[in-house]
Amino acid sequence: MEYRLGEFFVIADAEVELIKITGQVRAFAEGCGVKNGIAFVITQHTTTGITINESLPCVEKDIEEQLERLIPTEYPFHHNHYLPSYGTIGGNAPGHLKSLLTGNHCVLPLIDGKLKLGDAADIYFCEYDGIKKRKYLVYCMGEA
Amino acid sequence: MVIDTHIHPALFAPICRDEKKLAFRCEEMNYHLMKPSDLALLKKQWRLADIERVFLLPEDCSFEKGQAAISNEEIAELMCMEPALFVGFAGVDPRNENAAGQLENAFETLGLMGLKLNTAKLKMFPYDDRIKALCRICAQYKKPVIFHSGMCLEKEAYSRYARPADFEELADKFPEINFCLAHFGWPWVQETASLLIKYPNLYANTALMSFDGPVQLYHKVFKEDMGEYWVEHNLADKIMFGSDSPRIRPVRSKKGLDALGLSAEVKEKLYYRNALRFLGREA
Repeated sequence: MEYRLGEFFVIADAEVELIKITGQVRAFAEGCGVKNGIAFVITQHTTTGITINESLPCVEKDIEEQLERLIPTEYPFHHNHYLPSYGTIGGNAPGHLKSLLTGNHCVLPLIDGKLKLGDAADIYFCEYDGIKKRKYLVYCMGEA
Repeated sequence: MVIDTHIHPALFAPICRDEKKLAFRCEEMNYHLMKPSDLALLKKQWRLADIERVFLLPEDCSFEKGQAAISNEEIAELMCMEPALFVGFAGVDPRNENAAGQLENAFETLGLMGLKLNTAKLKMFPYDDRIKALCRICAQYKKPVIFHSGMCLEKEAYSRYARPADFEELADKFPEINFCLAHFGWPWVQETASLLIKYPNLYANTALMSFDGPVQLYHKVFKEDMGEYWVEHNLADKIMFGSDSPRIRPVRSKKGLDALGLSAEVKEKLYYRNALRFLGREA
């Protein structure tokens, strides 16, 4: 069994943004030396997500707007208060909750050295608390 | 356009190279679990709030602590990197014997644009003669002064030294100096408002993040603690936008103010025109 880890950084252009990372994930997964196995894409943060969906601007907009309808930014969340452990105001409750909905990872098979992604599928890093420097991992395990 | 009159550059990467110094600074200023950010990232964050100029505030309690948490040299270093963006303020500890010389040096050699003092942290009342001596230098150099006012979240900083009413004597005795009561003197916001209508040279900023989110807090302060029309009809020329970053990201602070429903004309004043006048640069 082989194990390979790639670490990647991403910086959004907006507070909330779906950032397509398919190319970066594919390049690492298909070049890491694991031929048959599994690739995990995992965000390191609790106010971001990883998801797979169709890369159409209208779909991306619908996802962002539906998440906002479900979790309105200006709702008086419990998290909106002074946090002595940080010395800051907790202003990112919507990010935590949106992260909950898209989850922190996706899993894809690697077969014959190719990432098996559906025809309409793209992988997204979901920024819900931007703008920050973010890190996600691609972890591949399987036979060389 | 927006001018943020209240940013502490404690976590700006170019001045965070020394880990020991950074740890001291964060402990003093009560910032935890946050990492330094490079200027490119910060500029991207500020663009979300249309911020085009930023007041950089120092922190000097060196008489007690042996060193400044954010020194004038560090402010000047940042200003040199982005002269069109940054307006650097000087900090000196008035209890140091050479405070006057340090301030003159900050204006003459480092090119800093004003003075920032935190009397809560310094444990000095605003009407202390040592502070008046520094104000005389600011008057001579035609530089504005920003005072922390009201409650301070920093370590060993006491509100009783920063009540808005205690700054009145300075506003009265130095009419040629523009003063800003940062944080709107919170929680004594009515006290601050009363001084703002009396003294033409007195301003306040909105850096008062302490409770709830910006939408809730600004509504409470500017629509409930104060009368419905106080900002729009009475104080429109006296309030400047200030975020208090890094305690909150400026874009969030601005969204809270946007939600107050102020007129376009007043928002323009609050977001940049008043800050330009405060600096002596009319729009």
